[in-house]
Amino acid sequence: MKVKKMKDSRLSTIILHNVLIGVIAFIWLIPIVWLVCTSFSAFSGMNTHTFFPEKWSISYYVKLFHPDTVAQFPQWFINTFVVACATCVISTMFVLMVAYATSIMRFPMRKPLMNMAVILNLFPGMLAMIAVYFVLKTFNLTNSYAGLIMVYSASSGLGYLIAKGFFDTVPRALCEAARIDGCSEARIFFQMVIPMSRPIVVYTVISSFLMPWMDFVYAKMILNAGVSSKYTVAIGLYKMLDKQLINDYFTQFCAGGVLVSIPISILFIIMQKFYVEGITGGAVKG
Amino acid sequence: MRKKLISMLLCATMVATAVTGCGASDDKDTSDTSVKKGTDEGSKSDETVKLTLWGAEGDQDFLTDVVKKFQSTYSDQKFDIQIGVESESSAKDTVLTDIEAAADVYSFASDQIADLVRAGALANLDEVSEVLKKANKTLDDVKSANVSDSIEAATVDGKMYAFPTSGANTYFLYYDKSKISETDAANWDTILAAAKKAGKKVGMTLNSGWYVASFFYGAGFTTGLNADGTTTMDWNGTSPDGIKGTDVVKSMLDITSNSAFRAVTDGKLSDTLKSGDCCAIISGTWDAGVAAEVWGENYAAIKLPTFTVGDKQVQMHPAYGYKLEAVNAYSENMGWAVLLAEFISNEESQTKHFETAEQVPTNIKALEADSIKKNVAVAAATSQADFGVIQEVGGKYWDPAKTFGEMVAKGKISAKDDAAIQKVLDKLVDGVTAPLD
Amino acid sequence: MANRTKGTVAAAVSGFFKAIGGFFSGFGTAVAKGDLFVKLSLLWWGAGYVRRKQYVKAVIMTALEAAAILFTIFFAMDYVPKFGSLGTVQAEKVFNMDTMKSEFNDYDHSFKILLFSLFSFVVWFAAIIVWIKNVINVYKLQKMEENGEHINTFREDMKTYIGERFHITLLTLPVLGIVVFTLIPILLLVFVAFTNYDQNHMPPSQLFSWVGFKNFITLFGGGGLTSTFGYAFVRVLGWTLVWALFSTLTTYIGGILLSLLLNSKKTRMPKFWRFLFVLTIAVPQFVSLLLVRNFFADNGIVNTICDNIGLTGFLNDIGLVGTTYIPFLSAPGWAHVMIIIINIWVGVPYQMLIATGVLMNIPADQLESAKVDGAKPFQIFRKITMPYMLFITGPALVTDFVKNVNNFNVIYLLTQDVYTTTDQAMGNSQAQEVDLLVTWLFRLTQDYYNYKMASVIGIIVFIICAVFTLVAFNFMIKGDKEGTYQ
Repeated sequence: MKVKKMKDSRLSTIILHNVLIGVIAFIWLIPIVWLVCTSFSAFSGMNTHTFFPEKWSISYYVKLFHPDTVAQFPQWFINTFVVACATCVISTMFVLMVAYATSIMRFPMRKPLMNMAVILNLFPGMLAMIAVYFVLKTFNLTNSYAGLIMVYSASSGLGYLIAKGFFDTVPRALCEAARIDGCSEARIFFQMVIPMSRPIVVYTVISSFLMPWMDFVYAKMILNAGVSSKYTVAIGLYKMLDKQLINDYFTQFCAGGVLVSIPISILFIIMQKFYVEGITGGAVKG
Repeated sequence: MRKKLISMLLCATMVATAVTGCGASDDKDTSDTSVKKGTDEGSKSDETVKLTLWGAEGDQDFLTDVVKKFQSTYSDQKFDIQIGVESESSAKDTVLTDIEAAADVYSFASDQIADLVRAGALANLDEVSEVLKKANKTLDDVKSANVSDSIEAATVDGKMYAFPTSGANTYFLYYDKSKISETDAANWDTILAAAKKAGKKVGMTLNSGWYVASFFYGAGFTTGLNADGTTTMDWNGTSPDGIKGTDVVKSMLDITSNSAFRAVTDGKLSDTLKSGDCCAIISGTWDAGVAAEVWGENYAAIKLPTFTVGDKQVQMHPAYGYKLEAVNAYSENMGWAVLLAEFISNEESQTKHFETAEQVPTNIKALEADSIKKNVAVAAATSQADFGVIQEVGGKYWDPAKTFGEMVAKGKISAKDDAAIQKVLDKLVDGVTAPLD
Repeated sequence: MANRTKGTVAAAVSGFFKAIGGFFSGFGTAVAKGDLFVKLSLLWWGAGYVRRKQYVKAVIMTALEAAAILFTIFFAMDYVPKFGSLGTVQAEKVFNMDTMKSEFNDYDHSFKILLFSLFSFVVWFAAIIVWIKNVINVYKLQKMEENGEHINTFREDMKTYIGERFHITLLTLPVLGIVVFTLIPILLLVFVAFTNYDQNHMPPSQLFSWVGFKNFITLFGGGGLTSTFGYAFVRVLGWTLVWALFSTLTTYIGGILLSLLLNSKKTRMPKFWRFLFVLTIAVPQFVSLLLVRNFFADNGIVNTICDNIGLTGFLNDIGLVGTTYIPFLSAPGWAHVMIIIINIWVGVPYQMLIATGVLMNIPADQLESAKVDGAKPFQIFRKITMPYMLFITGPALVTDFVKNVNNFNVIYLLTQDVYTTTDQAMGNSQAQEVDLLVTWLFRLTQDYYNYKMASVIGIIVFIICAVFTLVAFNFMIKGDKEGTYQ
């Protein structure tokens, strides 16, 4: 091991190696840099002549916080935040509940239910969208955040596999011992398994929290009253690129994109660690 | 009320059955609360009239104003009017996804009327015209107050389905006076030559059935709409004017192959204009502001140019449309919705609409205002009213026509191969006239 | 992960039927051998519990029965009888000047009939299960009483729901959510594939009806309606498969290579580098992809740069490009390649994270002994790292493939409004060369209201995914190397 290290650590290869990574990273970041630069442009439309804006300004960030009929960014942000929090709570609960039941417990319907989930996951979600819309309409939930939250979280149980994989790594013997000690399943769930599964809990929380920030298809369909102040960030920004609006709002779109990306990036950086632990924890033992 | 209760009951039962599906449990709480909620919601007061109104993005302030005036006109009635954003060009797509959820009153481009009527989305105004008494009008008053073509555009099978709000929804030529003279602007060949000399481009959108049709309409070809929603089209034959479809395509290819021509992607006209690469562009009144800004005092607008077929000059005939104010056939407050739509389309509102968004009125009196007559873009647009075509096509028209336009724009057809051009046109007609499936 | 998939399919199917068989035989025994109250439970769900003095349960079951009956009378009966025809009464309305409102007749809404009938079937199915299960339970109670065993009080019964029957408590809500928001919608659209729900038959103003397999025949070139539909389908299907294959493989391999690169001991500041890559996936896709789309637009910034450095001219000269710009996202071929490249940009950082996690878990002793034996880094990679990766992430590879078949976002965001087909046969079927089956399906519903064909395509997508998954898993089970790593 040590011999190897010394051989490898010759300066030139190290530099070469890091330069290579640098070049790849550079390519990867070009669009992101463009996004950030364009958001600081003084020109409202798209700049197709130069990579960097000809004139710099923060006026479009300022404009984002002075809502007009199209752009109501602060309101969208609040809307999305509310939806995201609710989605996050419900989804996380559902995912962990299903994962625990299928991983730790044994009951007759376990296998059929799991197979059912596999089959349902094979259907294209797009297809079900219209029907979901009418289901919501029946319960008078279109154009409401409750409806949106339901769409994001109701079926979240189907995404239990990663969490189940992780729970599978919890030593069976521990659970058995607890059962013999007279612990109820509920106590094992809440007081033993959940605390032991921090990575996967964090991972689930963050990924379900992010969903409403990313989705524009369902949101567009459900919030169809055309009232801008009710949009989520995703549809609000998406609509800025309408044919009629793109010339006046492209820079604002970029600015909005940057502002949304900052908190999401932070969450992602936090999640990254748990994601790696959670996913592999699940996968290794499988 | 009964329906709502039932749906709540249903909801409760569902929860109950699902829970007990694997045993038994007590969830009486859920059913209790949900039934209670149903009763609360049911006790709406009938006093306030709830309406939703959709309009284009740029019209939001205008609509807010009009709604205020509407409310003060009918001040003995309480209203709750919500204004949403939906552009006229995409209104049909949104409305038809769920007609019942669409706004009570909305604005749409007249080429969508056939599809909307066929889906039963529009209220037949003849059936509800009685309500106009409240505005001291009859439907005939509305008909006579507006340009007759606009009424025709709002009429299907002799029944009127919408109120015209603005006209001149068409495209014409904007140009830079310093690069192209007015005489040059009359003809594609001279325009392109002048542009080449100036080192600039001439932009036009071809990958859209709305623009691409102007060459064929000019040569005397037609499109038509059948009652079942299918489209008729004769572009692969010879027009009544004696011009062959293949020759029209050849002339188009002649234009697109010119290095001074730029085919602009649908929706990118303003972008292209702003980039400053062009000294002439074919677009509509909505780009007047941009054009004036880019070219300053050299800004000018004129009717569409002629193009050369063989040794003849043929005038392009643009699609000429209107913007109409619709009343949703499933509106809960039909009467008030009709009154609101009428109010938005009356003389005063139309005048105001022109002032705020340069929308050309259809109201005959409003059209006489000086500011309208002096407007360069409006003059160019309305000068085409005589030969502009109210485009009658069904839903199957757009994609094949778009593909055809793209083929011409990209030069995917060889101008020398008559048989190949004929084949392309045949396929186009096949696609457009195909039965709805 | 491997455990989970191993042998599930065949075993599960047979196990499932065995379970059903057991269920019904239990019911038969209960009815045959039960006492009067058990038999009475067939009619009055609470009867058996009353006899065993479980009054709370009796009340609950009676209430449930009442709810089921009320549901049937007041709700299901409005819709289910019309299920066969999907409605016959068209909407008509009369305007009433006094109320300022339109009065509608009691018209049929085909879609609602379909949806609520389906809904009723699901509820009835649940009710029947409860009914059977109830009788079995009551019979069990009878037996327990006969044997003088302790019969649970209500409180004790409740306690089992956080004890041995905790799974019921856990699963009820999630399963209910899945049934309402996934299962019923999917079933509904499977039914729509057998109707003529399209532009000419749109509720509420129009009715639609059953047409059997006609839509499937249309898709496969028959039926004579749109002869191009079959052609477009084959083209779109082809691209869908090519896309799914390439996008899965490129991001997978790219992810592994990148993580190897980053996790190498030679890397300085690995955390910083990783952060930079993660940044690209932290920007929401609708922002980053819409941006990239404008970046590569026909008159976008990349084209300007290519033009300035003379690349466009060069490509023109060698005949690769026939236009004054490079049609990155607007010509077939170019667009296909660009979409896959852009997908690498979005997808590789994700795979890199996963690969990083897996690589960290490679049994250290194996690597150690390999090094002691003098294996070269590449040999270690080929003999140890790669097989291990494949073993761990193999099933995920299959799911990724399925996900990519259904990858709506990337294709839609990159090509919508930008790409126009020049293939007339495609244009006549509202398809494009760069469409996946799902984006085509989406356009058919959004712009053409052609729900029936969209549903047919959806079913085909399902079949493709299902077949692929089955084959892939079977293959993997055959090449089972589970023991190696445990």
